[in-house]
Amino acid sequence: METLQFAFRKILYAIPLLFGVTLISFLLMVYFGPDLTYSLIGKNPTAEQIAEVRTQLGYDQPFFIRYGMFLKEMVTFDFGNSLSTGERVSSILLRTVPVSFAVALPGFVLSELLALALALIAANHRGGFVDKGIMVFAVVGMSISFLIVVIVFQIAFCSIYGLNLFPVQGWVVSNVADYFHYVAVPTMVIVFVGLGYNTRFFRAVIVEELNRDYVRTARAYGVSRFRILSAHILKNAMIPISTRVIISLPFVVIAGNLVIERYFNIPGVGLITYNAITTGDLPIVKAVVTSTAILYVIALVFTDIVYRMIDPRVALNS
Amino acid sequence: MSDANPSAGEVGADRSGTDPVLRVEDLVVEFSTEKGRIRAVDGISFSVMPGEPVGIVGESGCGKTVTALSVLKLIPSPPGRIARGRVILDGRDVVPLGEREMRRLRGNVASMIFQEPMTALNPVFTIGSQMTEVLRIHRRMSRREAREHSIEMLHTVNIESPAKRFTQYPHELSGGMRQRVMIAMALSCDPKLLLADEPSTALDVTVQAQVMEEIRRLQEERRMSMILITHDLGVIAETCRRVIVMYCGKIVEVSDTRGLFAHPRHPYTSGLLASIPKVREKKIGRLPTIKGMVPDLADLPKGCRFADRCPKATAQCREKEPELVEVSPGQQVACFYPD
Ligand SMILES: Nc1ncnc2c1ncn2[C@@H]1O[C@H](COP(=O)(O)OP(=O)(O)OP(=O)(O)O)[C@@H](O)[C@H]1O
Ligand code: SF4
Ligand SMILES: [Mg+2]
Repeated sequence: METLQFAFRKILYAIPLLFGVTLISFLLMVYFGPDLTYSLIGKNPTAEQIAEVRTQLGYDQPFFIRYGMFLKEMVTFDFGNSLSTGERVSSILLRTVPVSFAVALPGFVLSELLALALALIAANHRGGFVDKGIMVFAVVGMSISFLIVVIVFQIAFCSIYGLNLFPVQGWVVSNVADYFHYVAVPTMVIVFVGLGYNTRFFRAVIVEELNRDYVRTARAYGVSRFRILSAHILKNAMIPISTRVIISLPFVVIAGNLVIERYFNIPGVGLITYNAITTGDLPIVKAVVTSTAILYVIALVFTDIVYRMIDPRVALNS
Repeated sequence: MSDANPSAGEVGADRSGTDPVLRVEDLVVEFSTEKGRIRAVDGISFSVMPGEPVGIVGESGCGKTVTALSVLKLIPSPPGRIARGRVILDGRDVVPLGEREMRRLRGNVASMIFQEPMTALNPVFTIGSQMTEVLRIHRRMSRREAREHSIEMLHTVNIESPAKRFTQYPHELSGGMRQRVMIAMALSCDPKLLLADEPSTALDVTVQAQVMEEIRRLQEERRMSMILITHDLGVIAETCRRVIVMYCGKIVEVSDTRGLFAHPRHPYTSGLLASIPKVREKKIGRLPTIKGMVPDLADLPKGCRFADRCPKATAQCREKEPELVEVSPGQQVACFYPD
């Protein structure tokens, strides 16, 4: 009950933040953004035609009316039509978001879990051989360029020079077997690329917890090392860890994984965003950027609520 | 181990015919630091008899906490390690024991209370879950038994509405109350030895006395041995039967409390006593100061470690290190010219 109240309050507090991020999006992409008049109009336009298009685009309206229109677009999911295909942006999103989600989710989850396990092992053997081994691996993993990882995995698993087990690109999924077939290599790439960063971050958090007084107390009362790590420390560490995980979710869902989708040619949000940026398809960019920002705010609210559930010290009035 | 010092006398030796609960023999604890390897505790020996409250005093950094942690092998390692000596707890040397065996002793045969009640408990678990965990480890109690026993323990340390406190989180309790919880937890498995490391220093002045009173009462009622580490000689006078004075990782004087206050033998002890403010209405919780600086453990002088600050130091003091010897019944001093 208290948690519900807390959640409600946090949502209220998020409203100004939502206005803030939408205002910034609006300023950057619409108000001071590119003038679309000439991309919508034919050659040799007359002054009347120009004026007419500008009226259609709302360019002659005052600031607040235009911001209002922008907000209405966001709330109603009516982002206009793609400049290049003419398709409604909302239906493009509806089609591509689930694909991005399906592509990114297994890698995301596996990478977090694996990193957590590695971090726990490394922290447990802090300063020792195992720890150093894991950390060297993490740093090496971090320093290899994303693109190289993609290429190496594609050659190793998707080409006649390697195992040639999985498709190198595309997304033709109609059943679970197809799904595994197409998602396998992107998942490996995502895990490989994220693992180093996540392991390092998680290890730092866990080592910090290991040095806390309550750990010494638990040891002084005969609590086993395993239980100290898996219960006492993990619950405390979940506070920063869950924040990071939840906050990175919007990028997985909406912004998608630009590089993955581009190099595996998977029709997710990442790919259409990539194309929209390169061709200047403003309605799509606008929709993706703004929705990511909004989801980001929602994720922030959500982390606050998760905090509250993990950490009893987070008071109702804070 | 070859340079073990046989004359580092057994202090507080067995006079009553019973075995001591704790006997520390020639204990050396080393830490690797950036300045090199230092000896935080350098060849100390003492014992604690059943039911006996023993105080340890000395300036900050002299090795009091390290001594207490060694008893339960809780020295953070790395960087620390027990380099030499024996720690015989309840008849068994713990130095060679492994983690698994040590776990069975911790919180069970000997318990420790720490200085910082604000951080010593886990913030995301309830008081109850932390207390019952200890009972379930050592006493294999069912959840319900552990709960009942814990609430009873909270009652024993005079916490009001113990059943309610049981369900609360550490941050919902005041510092004094948290320290009472620590005491309850420490005593819940009926240990033979309580290691109390400045249990009241971090508390409000008004609460300090109450918490000390609680510890004193429980120690007496339960006839439990205790090592009380404190900066406050007043607390020692009220609580302990015997006092160990440490300086720079060494024991410089051991005495029964009355003898120590009446007739301190080591110049360092005299200094400590002389600088107690006469009016104790404003306790600062730190030891009164003696002129001069404590030498760096990484760069110790050749002879007596106190020589630089000692009004009686001679050439001999700067050449040789004095050993702890008995100067009168129940009083031992490491000084060439005891008072
Ligand atoms: N974790 C550690 N790493 C390195 N050196 C340490 C560590 N813990 C203790 N030491 C060394 O051991 C010495 C004794 O420390 P200890 O904590 O026992 O002092 P203390 O007498 O309890 O002091 P205080 O009154 O400040 O609590 C310190 O001076 C320090 O040099
Ligand atoms: S041995 Fe010498 S220097 Fe050391 S305390 Fe005694 S008199 Fe002072
Ligand atoms: Mg200390």
